[in-house]
This record gives sequence, C-alpha cells and structure tokens, in this order.
Amino acid sequence: MKPRTNAEWVRELTAQGDEQAAAIADLRLFLLRAALYAFSRGDLTQLSNHEIDQLAEDCVQEALLAILKHLPEFRSDSKFTTWAYKFAINFALVAARRERWKGVSLDQLLEDASVPNWSLQDKDTAVTPDRAALQAEVWATLRDVINQELTDRQRQALKAMVFDEVPLDEVVHHFGANRNAIYKLVHDARRKLKSRMEARGFSVQEIMHLFSVEG
Amino acid sequence: MKLSKLQHWLRQIYQTEEEEISCSECLDLVSHYVDLEIAGESAQEKLPRLKQHLDQCRVCHEEYEVLRDLARLEAEGRAPTLDELRKSL
Repeated sequence: MKPRTNAEWVRELTAQGDEQAAAIADLRLFLLRAALYAFSRGDLTQLSNHEIDQLAEDCVQEALLAILKHLPEFRSDSKFTTWAYKFAINFALVAARRERWKGVSLDQLLEDASVPNWSLQDKDTAVTPDRAALQAEVWATLRDVINQELTDRQRQALKAMVFDEVPLDEVVHHFGANRNAIYKLVHDARRKLKSRMEARGFSVQEIMHLFSVEG
Repeated sequence: MKLSKLQHWLRQIYQTEEEEISCSECLDLVSHYVDLEIAGESAQEKLPRLKQHLDQCRVCHEEYEVLRDLARLEAEGRAPTLDELRKSL
C-alpha cells in the first residue's frame, strides 16, 4: 500500500476510475484494522470469528459511506487516517455494545425508575458515624431531587446509565432516539441536580471531601 | 453502591456546564484532539469543551481511548496487522 499525504487521500478518493478504486481499497484496509482493533478491546466472546469478521465488514462499509459523505468537511487538522479511523471505531463500538446488550430487556430496568435506597457503605471502607450521617444526608437529597424533580424520561435514562451502567447507545436504541438527544436529556438532568444541590448548601469541596475514597 | 462510583458521579454533576457540546460535535473534534495529544501539545487547553464532554460521556470516552491508542501505535510504527488482530480476538 502506498503512503499518502492528507491531500493525496482527499484527491484520490474524489478522483474517478482506477485511482479512486485503489484509494478506496486501501482505505478499506485501514478501516478494517480500526474495527478489529476496537473489537479486540471489547468482550465479544459470544461471537464466532466468522461472525466478528462479518460484523467488522459491515462496520467498514458504514464507515466508508460516512467518510465519503463527510470528506468535504475534512480540514486536515489531524492525519487523514486518524480522522477516518474514528468513523470505523464509532460504528464498531456501537455494534459491539449492541451485541453485548441484545439479550437484555431494558423494559424491566426502565419500568421502575425510582432510585433505590441503597446502602453507601463499602465493605472495606470504615467511616465515622458523623461522616456516615452526612453522606446519608447528601444521598437522601440526591434521591429526593431525582424522584421528585426530574421528568420520567430523565429519571429513566439517568437510572439506566448511572445506576445500572447501561451504555448510552442502548438507551438511544430503546427510546428510538439519537445520541445527541439522550446526552441532552441527561445533561439537563445533571444541570437540575447541580443547581438543587447548590441551592441546598452542598458545596463542591465539601461533597468531594465527604465522598473521597481516601477519607 | 460503591462510594467511588458515587463520588465519580457527583464530580460529573458538579462539573456540569450550562452549555456542553453534543456527541456529534465530539466526534467531529476527537481526531484533532488525539493528534494534538500524540504531537505532545496540550489538547485539553486547546479543546477544553471536548475534554469536558469526554469526562461526562462514557461511550464517547471509550471511543476516544480506542482511537488514541490505535493512532499512537500507528505513529510509532507499531500498528497491529490484520492477522495479529484476528488472532487476538
């Protein structure tokens, strides 16, 4: 494969005929590397090697279409390959998360969106009674704001993502939304939590110290 | 609930900004951010809103880490071959 500058990648990908075909064939190999590298970082043990190869090829195809669509926006503020890799990595990790979560029904997880009154104690972390009481007060305030002041959808998304560790993509999939919309939903919830906590007199330093693992 | 997990989430709440960039804007900027890091420049100072988003968004952060590591390997001439990657799966 011949090395290319950013300008050469752009020129050849927008050329015609054999020159464009050769650039696309080379770009496919870069994208396949990125997709397989992304898969190698995640747990896809439930899939056979053949299934992983097929999934990688699907991601490469999607990434290639996205790259050709967005090529006019490429500003050369990074290497072309870094710019191209991000599309393949994005599609590959979305697909990997989908594979890991496809057997899990979010209906049940989201049905009861009230935040449980969990114990804050770590088995191996001893805290003084005063500190434990303050921690419990903060936690009760947070739960109160979540349960009383967030919308149902904010509460559902927050509970799934923070407490049940559901990836944002899976919440997106469940709600039939897009990433930006769910990120904004949770951002609005965080803004509300922040303002309510500050209004109740909990300062950042106090809270961080109170919950610091070091004590 | 683990205290460390709650502390991480509380930090995210307190680091919330009135305006934050979206996941799409993050994807637009992340390759620039990664190549600044690889060049040894201060990516956080040049693109602070992207850093803020990465601190808040677990999926975007995961994608950033994979991109950063692959781009770094490539810059060092150590990018894995397709055969090596297939064997590692």
